[in-house]
Amino acid sequence: MEKHMAVCPYCGTGCKLNLLVEGGKVVGAEPLNGVTNEGELCLKGYFGYDFINDTKILTPRLRNPMLRRSRDAAFEAVSWDEAIDYAAKKLGEIKAKYGPDSIMTTGSSRGTGNETNYVMQKFTRAVLGTNNVDNCARVCHGPSVAGLQVTLGNGAMSNSIPEIEHTKCVLVFGYNVADSHPVIAKRIIKAKERGAKIIVCDPRKIETARLADLWLPLNNGSNMALVNAFANVLINEGLYNKEYVANYTEGFDEYKKIVDKYTPEYAAAITGLPAEDIREAMRIYAAAPSATILWGMGVTQWGQGVDVVKGLSGLALLTGNLGRPNVGVGPVRGQNNVQGSCDMGVLPTEFPGYQKVTDPEIRAKFAKAWGVESLPDQIGYRLTDVPHLAETGKLKAMYIMGEDPAQTEPDLALVRKGFEAMEFVIVQDIFMTKTAMFADLILPATSWGEHEGVFSAADRSFQRFTKAVDAKGDVKHDWEIISLLATAMGYPMHYNNTKEIWDELRELCPIFYGVTYEKMEGLGAVPWPCRDLDSPGSKYLYEGNVFQRPGGKGLLFATEWRPPKDQLTEEFPLILCTVREVGHYSCRSMTGNCAALQTLADEPGYVTINPKDAKALGIRDQELVWVSSRRGKVISRASVTDRTNKGAVYMTYQWWIGACNELTIHAVDPIAKTPEYKYAAVRVEAIADQVWAENYVQQEYAKLKGGLSNAVTRATKKAPAYA
Amino acid sequence: MNRFVTANPSKCIGCRTCEVACALAHSDGAGVEGLAPETFKPRIRMVKTANVSTAVMCHHCEDAPCVNACPNNAIVYRQHSVQVEQERCLGCKNCVLACPFGAMDVVTVPAVRQFAGMTLSLGVKAQAHKCDLCVGRDAGPACVSVCPTSALTLMDRDAMDETLRRRRERAALEAAEVAA
Repeated sequence: MEKHMAVCPYCGTGCKLNLLVEGGKVVGAEPLNGVTNEGELCLKGYFGYDFINDTKILTPRLRNPMLRRSRDAAFEAVSWDEAIDYAAKKLGEIKAKYGPDSIMTTGSSRGTGNETNYVMQKFTRAVLGTNNVDNCARVCHGPSVAGLQVTLGNGAMSNSIPEIEHTKCVLVFGYNVADSHPVIAKRIIKAKERGAKIIVCDPRKIETARLADLWLPLNNGSNMALVNAFANVLINEGLYNKEYVANYTEGFDEYKKIVDKYTPEYAAAITGLPAEDIREAMRIYAAAPSATILWGMGVTQWGQGVDVVKGLSGLALLTGNLGRPNVGVGPVRGQNNVQGSCDMGVLPTEFPGYQKVTDPEIRAKFAKAWGVESLPDQIGYRLTDVPHLAETGKLKAMYIMGEDPAQTEPDLALVRKGFEAMEFVIVQDIFMTKTAMFADLILPATSWGEHEGVFSAADRSFQRFTKAVDAKGDVKHDWEIISLLATAMGYPMHYNNTKEIWDELRELCPIFYGVTYEKMEGLGAVPWPCRDLDSPGSKYLYEGNVFQRPGGKGLLFATEWRPPKDQLTEEFPLILCTVREVGHYSCRSMTGNCAALQTLADEPGYVTINPKDAKALGIRDQELVWVSSRRGKVISRASVTDRTNKGAVYMTYQWWIGACNELTIHAVDPIAKTPEYKYAAVRVEAIADQVWAENYVQQEYAKLKGGLSNAVTRATKKAPAYA
Repeated sequence: MNRFVTANPSKCIGCRTCEVACALAHSDGAGVEGLAPETFKPRIRMVKTANVSTAVMCHHCEDAPCVNACPNNAIVYRQHSVQVEQERCLGCKNCVLACPFGAMDVVTVPAVRQFAGMTLSLGVKAQAHKCDLCVGRDAGPACVSVCPTSALTLMDRDAMDETLRRRRERAALEAAEVAA
């Protein structure tokens, strides 16, 4: 049996593992003693590898480039030469006719790796000539990046994952660590065993709430009010670190003016929390000799996400919990390489290494290195702008790599209209997906396990992963495909391996310069910033309390609470909040093709509901129900549980039948453009004929699966002309 | 003393990694691709209530109700544990009703016989289905090795003695505090 070192492709923890290979097939995974996982793996890490083997449980792997010459035609398998020529010609025509800004591309925060993302943004900027490149950080931690860049100067976790178990207080805010990052959950449990106090702010009784010293079940949509009240208590009870605030922060007077109104009593009316619990939380947080705030989508997926992120960083600034070990602020990244795609500049605002596209000197540096006269100076479109831009005719073509927006974006009916309005759509993926069904051209790539590269863990650690098996079929590495397309469009691009790409980007990014492949050999993990070849990298940021802002001080920021956008009415009386579950990941194209994970949870998925709400609606546990909003209607299975708060229901977002994003609202944060996935007004209805409903689910599921699978088999069955 | 696997609810995060590891450890080497919802029968079960998440499995009792209830002596004490001799199991379910922990179940599996190179079906065979501590697995119980939060522990005499020692020490300290 062969063993090949990899980094788990499922969340931002960055667990190192060995893929076990027999006869060219991956047959198992075993944990390695990586820096962040120390010999542990979770459900997905242990049992989430068999998708590589093309199990066809949910969807087939892609084996050939596939093209359809018109939208009503079926896909046909074509040669790489034809696929690349076709793409180059179409993109060239659209660029000539409508201008470079009529085209948009995406990076991928998933299994492809940092090198590919670097190549994709280089292609977008140097070849297409636009900054229209984005990644799914837009729909997750975009607000964390935008908010922290303003208040502290750096958008990433300030401290490392191993430090979490050494902090004396963990403030968990809108972050279901047990389901999102099980191996980080262990760090929190260990911190508690070492005497740390655990405070959890979440409307649901999530696992961490069960283990917490203090649980604040705030009303859905009241985050800003609670964070302001926290600041109010720290200031008005004199709990804050006056010396730290005086020396290392700015904006205190303005900040105090705004939070003064948010007394715990005032916030109690908005949050539904007892004023005394709000005070108690901050007494615990301020008293701890070291404290860490961790947050997730419960903070960011709101119309007011950036403000709350800034507010949370304010709590750390007020108490001096930054710039040293075992403290800090932690936006814990959900997808395995969403930190990496931001690091690599698949963002409409930044080049790799967080260098602004609006800075002429930076642009000149990249233009020179890439051998082009100039690079675009206008910031590009955001991913969540796409449906609107397509419908209004501003966006004509899209090149989507390793993402499935037709499953993961809000208000899917709107997303579908957007795709239909575009002239040319390329999807580059490892699986046939719902998004690929909208494509004109499908480009098949190698999967995690079939290529090597570097991922960034949530705590900024760069780690290498290696190839375990050869890819089957006529597929290429993502970065090879992009290079071929660049070359066909008149910009010769060629790399022999990922190390060549890595070394090119290292030279261009001062904060990554010291991170060499050699340093990342084996179990090596190097957290950026790492500016020198002899530096081990930075476990924590802001050493000496110097913040990466003009003047070097941290900014205290507060603003008024704004209520969520969607309106509860008699017709739509319940709040729908979309969440995740431990066994499935992202759009489910990977985990849905893993036998173990699909055995534990399959369609249509659950809508969890409080027993009181269920009783009032005549719904019993495990029954199928209708869930509808102003935007759509789907069938789901009721899970009646006391862990769900009254007045709200929760659905996970990876199901095709129980697709909660048919229901979510396209309302976005004004700065980060991140959608308000956490609050949509819905109605839940009992279904009298459960036998009919069960059959309906099976039929619809079979229809969808069959549609995707047939698209691939029909294309490849026809003997391709080039064969 | 019989060995047993114990779960700590203050560490469990309800992820069911133990369930999959258990099913795989008893899959005769079929691997993950042999798993399917219809045949998924782990011997350890994660239970989630309003306030508790934890795994429930056989305690390998010293005076086991299942052993006492079995009319055909199919359940025996062996290798410091309670084991089922499947060929003797009748599928009568006395053991299921006798177990106070809900850790015993009776399942049916396809019964086959090899004859002249052919596989002949013999209908179904009942099996009393419960934790066997993965006897025969070099690394010990599979559930314990995979639990990402170390909520599961294999208790043997030594581990039990250590637990008891710590409990007594804590009791002594608490008594001293009360006295003071």
